[in-house]
Amino acid sequence: MTTASLSGELRDLYTEESTRIRENFASNGDGRVAVRERTRLVQAIALRLWHEIISPDDAGPAGFALVALGGFGRGWLFPHSDVDILFLHASAETENLYKDHVRRFSQEMWDLHMKVSPATRALTECDRFDATNVEFTISLLDCRYLAGDRSLFDRLHDKLIPKLVMREAQSLVQSLADVTRSRHAKYGDTVFHLEPNVKDGPGGLRDYNVATWLSLISAMDKLRDWPDPKTLFPLSTRKQFDSALDFLMSVRCFLHLRQGRDDNLLLWESQDEAAARKIGTPDADVTDAASWMRIYFGQARAVHRVCTQLLEEIPAAWSSLYRQFQHWRSRLSNADFSVVDGLIFLQQPNALHDPEMLLRLFHFMAMHGLRLSTTTEYRIEQVLPSLAATPPRGAELWLYLGEILVQPHAADALRAMHALKLLTLLLPELKAIDALVVRDFYHRFTVDEHSFVAIDSLHRLKQSQSEWDQRYAEILGELERPEILYLSLLLHDVGKGMSNTNHVDASLDVARSCMDRLDLDPSERESVLFLIANHLEISATLRRDIFDHETVRAFAERMENPERLKMLTLLTYADIKAVNPDALTPWKAENVFQLYIAAFNYLNHSVDERLHADQEDQHLAHIRTLVPTAGKKLKIFLEGLPKRYLTTYSATDVLAHVEMAGRLGADPIQLLLERGRHWFELTLVMHDRPSLFATVTGVLAAWGMNIVKANAFSNQAGTVVDTFYFTDRFRTLELNLQEWERFKRSLIGVLVGETDLDRMLSERLRAEKLGTPKVKVETKIEFDDSCSARSTLVQVIAQDRPGLLHQISSGLSHEKCNIEIALVDTEGQMAIDVFYLTSNGQKLSADHERRIQKRLLESLRAES
Amino acid sequence: MTKVEAIIQTSKLEAVKEALHDAGVEGMTVLEVRGHGRQKGHTEFYRGREYTVDLIPKIKLELVLPDAIVQKAVQAIVTAARTGKIGDGKIFLSKVDEAIRIRNDERGEGAL
Repeated sequence: MTTASLSGELRDLYTEESTRIRENFASNGDGRVAVRERTRLVQAIALRLWHEIISPDDAGPAGFALVALGGFGRGWLFPHSDVDILFLHASAETENLYKDHVRRFSQEMWDLHMKVSPATRALTECDRFDATNVEFTISLLDCRYLAGDRSLFDRLHDKLIPKLVMREAQSLVQSLADVTRSRHAKYGDTVFHLEPNVKDGPGGLRDYNVATWLSLISAMDKLRDWPDPKTLFPLSTRKQFDSALDFLMSVRCFLHLRQGRDDNLLLWESQDEAAARKIGTPDADVTDAASWMRIYFGQARAVHRVCTQLLEEIPAAWSSLYRQFQHWRSRLSNADFSVVDGLIFLQQPNALHDPEMLLRLFHFMAMHGLRLSTTTEYRIEQVLPSLAATPPRGAELWLYLGEILVQPHAADALRAMHALKLLTLLLPELKAIDALVVRDFYHRFTVDEHSFVAIDSLHRLKQSQSEWDQRYAEILGELERPEILYLSLLLHDVGKGMSNTNHVDASLDVARSCMDRLDLDPSERESVLFLIANHLEISATLRRDIFDHETVRAFAERMENPERLKMLTLLTYADIKAVNPDALTPWKAENVFQLYIAAFNYLNHSVDERLHADQEDQHLAHIRTLVPTAGKKLKIFLEGLPKRYLTTYSATDVLAHVEMAGRLGADPIQLLLERGRHWFELTLVMHDRPSLFATVTGVLAAWGMNIVKANAFSNQAGTVVDTFYFTDRFRTLELNLQEWERFKRSLIGVLVGETDLDRMLSERLRAEKLGTPKVKVETKIEFDDSCSARSTLVQVIAQDRPGLLHQISSGLSHEKCNIEIALVDTEGQMAIDVFYLTSNGQKLSADHERRIQKRLLESLRAES
Repeated sequence: MTKVEAIIQTSKLEAVKEALHDAGVEGMTVLEVRGHGRQKGHTEFYRGREYTVDLIPKIKLELVLPDAIVQKAVQAIVTAARTGKIGDGKIFLSKVDEAIRIRNDERGEGAL
């Protein structure tokens, strides 16, 4: 036959059959059938060309064979997939002999507009493993005989490939794992993209192939032969995979036919059409694109889960370095969980019936960055129905959830809980955002994944080398209750799953319901609601002039206190960062930080504005509603306290202070010692007297306590409310309950003059030898006369060490200064103490400031 | 055709966009930039460290317009972005030889 008539005939065949495949798919939507038919069509054309150009005999010529590789070999040719073929030669002799034939063969296929990727190799060349072209060796795993010398193909398939795989299994698996991990990283390691790639994205068809190849290599290494494909996966996985494969094949066929090219991106327009045509899900209840996408994410999640599990398990079997690392991780095993190859197994499989154990499992996962083994996942799935009858709730659940949220790998644990439907069992409110696609131009992930990415981006701050990340990491390290921030991030967008037009209001409603379920205390609730309600506030303020004092003032006053400012800054940072990898530009990161600094300074430098109990103030109004009967007592107590007092303490705390102040007549020293999550809190209410602050800090230092924060306030009647937050360095109070009383008696003893503080302190100093600090902090003392109408602000920055606060406050006391307000903070090894000082009720003179500076510098430098 | 490059305060972006829209401008490119003219930097102290912002964040708009509407667009930017203080920004105009719409190779003002 002439070249022209052969080309014409094949072109007609290819066009007619391609049209038929397209029409069939349009009517039945069956992707598996469509790829099978296109594979048959391309195979028929290849065979025809083989007869015409190479050999009229199917089995000839000797020493030369035509082999299908990759997708063609698997029988998976999508409408616009590449066609990978191998011209396999026994030797260089046949290769030279058929060089021109091969060229013509390939040319004919290209002329049909097929994207043919031909490879010509001698058999011995196939045996060579090339680390720079792993793809070729991997494509051999899908090889299939098409035409030519059958015995040559059999040598390749039956002998060479099994030997090659056994010899190079470790390198093959490692390369495959590396390529897959970097492919996943390119897609942010998540399935949940608003516009996913159904081939290369995590959970796409490529992941299915990777899972198959990993299992095949592993099985071949053991059997020394090709395994039965049906045995590659356990039955349950195979069923899940089959369902996912049917779906993904249909979607990819749909995309190829819709776009007319090898385009695998599931864009919004395609999602609308796929949902309308119920692509891949003819029997499902699909109402819109969002519900169809939920089915897509469900299938992709199953594929991704198996693929990532195999990526953990199989490379571990070979790599010695990996094994060493995993061996180190296996030391994490404890009485409840064993760790093998980075996977968590249960020591007592039945223990999961106890919900506490289940939560501890995810806490363990979040803490160490491990994955659940398949059997552990199976056990969890088994206990979920009984757990659903009486799901854990209340403060105990919040305790565990809070502990999970603050662990470095919290996002992975949350994702695992979510994939297993445990998270929505514990917090059913989250069902509304499960794999929810909300279309906007900037977001890359589904709403639930966006929240997980946001949580993760905060946890990753600590390891980051970026200048901005490090600055934000410092703020994160200063938070008193980071779990509040993480819970707010988990819930901040949950309203997007509701029909309300304003997602912030809807999120607040859902958050209230979640917090009822978790039984958060009132101050925690207030903080979460504040953060969610204001989670767009910083972005809105950035559209104003952030160098304008009025902008800063209005913003800072809305924040109320530094702790909320810090949390909202971090929430905004994480929220923007989780929109898409490029959303947080250095420009934006810097602007957010500048606004934070300006507002932080405003809050610290404008704190002595006094309260008047008759004023209109939302906090006052709230307190009045709690105890309408406390009217006069409350009024006397609040009169003249700094406004900041009300934003520093919760309404419950304020009422406790009022009660303590009411008892001063009977007992002039009111103490309240409590143990918080991170530290102890000592609140002292009494009438002011000289050196009071210095005395209390001295007692704490003498007991070996490390003061990390302190607040000191006084009202018009001279009643002081001082709170000291300290860590118990020697666990004196933590381990001995009876020491609590002795500690309080000792403080009272010093305050009433019965005990000698200097002696206590010198005993403590004798007992302790200070080590060399890891970071050297230079002492700095700065005065500011402009930020307050009635006090002088002094900021002391110094190396943190036991007794430092006592030393500074004693120095101030010797200089006849009255501490109106103290704001004491510690950042790593740096103590940052701010005092609002007066002397005889006036601001300090310049001379007085110089004397204080000299005294403090001499005293602090002598100690360092 | 004229290229208009306007450096404005970040807080004025919405107002300028709206004014340009009212003036009949359909498309623009917005860039986050930093720099300074006569308005110099700003220093904040935080945690004992000094943070100097010597390059102030600004927004840069880039537009290529038919000559007929350039003056109207410039006036719209000036009116919307002006506060009368240092730091309001600047506008630069330059001639453009050709515009090509990549999709269909359309040229000249029709491609804008």
